[in-house]
Amino acid sequence: MTATSIMTAKTPAAGTDLLQIVHINEEIKRVVGVSVKINIMALNAIFLAKRAGTAALGFGVLSNELRVFSQDLRTCMESLNGLIHACVNQVSIGLKGIRTGRLLSEAARLAPQQPAVARILQDHKREIERRDQQLTILRRQLKGALEDVFQMVELGGVLAKSAKIEAAYGQSFAASLAQVSGEFDGVVEEIRGSLEALRRSAFFTGNRNNWRG
Amino acid sequence: MKTTKTIFQDGNHKWVAIVRDPEKPNYLIDTNEYLVTYGGKGLLLDPGGAEIFPSVFSALSADFDPTALAGIFASHQDPDVCSSLALWLDFNPAMRCYISWMWSSFVPHFGGNAETFVQIPDEGIDISLDGLSLKAIPAHYLHSSGNFNLYDKVAKVLFSGDVGAALLPPGMDGLFVENFDAHIRHAEGFHKRWMGSNEAKRRWCERVSQMDVDMLCPQHGAIYRGADVQRFISWFDELQVGVISA
Ligand SMILES: [Fe+2]
Ligand SMILES: [Fe+2]
Repeated sequence: MTATSIMTAKTPAAGTDLLQIVHINEEIKRVVGVSVKINIMALNAIFLAKRAGTAALGFGVLSNELRVFSQDLRTCMESLNGLIHACVNQVSIGLKGIRTGRLLSEAARLAPQQPAVARILQDHKREIERRDQQLTILRRQLKGALEDVFQMVELGGVLAKSAKIEAAYGQSFAASLAQVSGEFDGVVEEIRGSLEALRRSAFFTGNRNNWRG
Repeated sequence: MKTTKTIFQDGNHKWVAIVRDPEKPNYLIDTNEYLVTYGGKGLLLDPGGAEIFPSVFSALSADFDPTALAGIFASHQDPDVCSSLALWLDFNPAMRCYISWMWSSFVPHFGGNAETFVQIPDEGIDISLDGLSLKAIPAHYLHSSGNFNLYDKVAKVLFSGDVGAALLPPGMDGLFVENFDAHIRHAEGFHKRWMGSNEAKRRWCERVSQMDVDMLCPQHGAIYRGADVQRFISWFDELQVGVISA
């Protein structure tokens, strides 16, 4: 494979990376939106538990915990923004580097007598490899941060399930408590679905380490 | 690949035109690049767009060591003038780029850093190429609002940037203007539409008509030489510019 063909073959991968980051970012925004929804639902559940009195003490405690969970989740998801931004930056530089690589390779082909071109092309490749390594590190960091969120959501799931059980003890409020706890369960599942989709993103799973040859 | 034509030579003092790439795709405007060499150093005038870099680079390096380029002179900020800047800087990061002060914070979007740019004040400057004095001549609003030509009074060559540019039809690709009347038809629409100020144009004509110019070298089209230089100046002086029918 010539230097030129290596450089051209890389183009779609870097472009795809950028698209995948966009999808990841959209999913993160969705989770942040859902976490706001849980916060409001938890507030309503706290008021409902207060009205139900002693019959819904456990439910009240769990609602409080779910509220804290939603706030933590939101903070955690928003903190991923920095990593996303760094990934976009690296991938953008990579895309620019691909164009530069293509033009330098073409210059090397047309001016084979110039040793300077080969040297600069080598420097350029080394720089791209360095950028690739940085992107690999960022990819790993982002994946790790998402795994942490996943653990947090597991806990949220347990809280929602416990709230469902507690609702059964709500006497005359049992039906409305069951409805609220069912909704909790639903939104936590929604988040879990989003996180599963993120985990499956080809940005993490594909064999991306050699996307620049 | 482009070809090089030496249009002036006196010892190691040379003007080389880098022109006409038959492989250039039609969607890219054709450009002329010029290399001035003196004492083993080179100044590249309007190095061209990034997409034509390989072609310009290979043509230039057939005659000249690209690492000996001391600088780039950019007549203005257009992408066809200097979007290849970053690639040239790869070969010599210490290379300077001379450009109007107006564009010195815009053109770094194409490449370079704070050290790269030498800002040319509105009245112009002298640029020394290993002792050869080259003059940046004001040509503002022709067409860019911060625009310079480059004059070599020893060679009597004026690089005129977009002034004198012609968009020549296929087949009409001679390096020099041979039939002024036939040639200028391909320059008229461009000058009327692109050049923004009749006042600036009048001042440019006055200034250049007082200079000793054997060759007027535009960034597009063919080179005017001999009597065609004055013919062009008179034609331009008469032309109403800044005209749009919309
Ligand atoms: Fe221009
Ligand atoms: Fe131009």
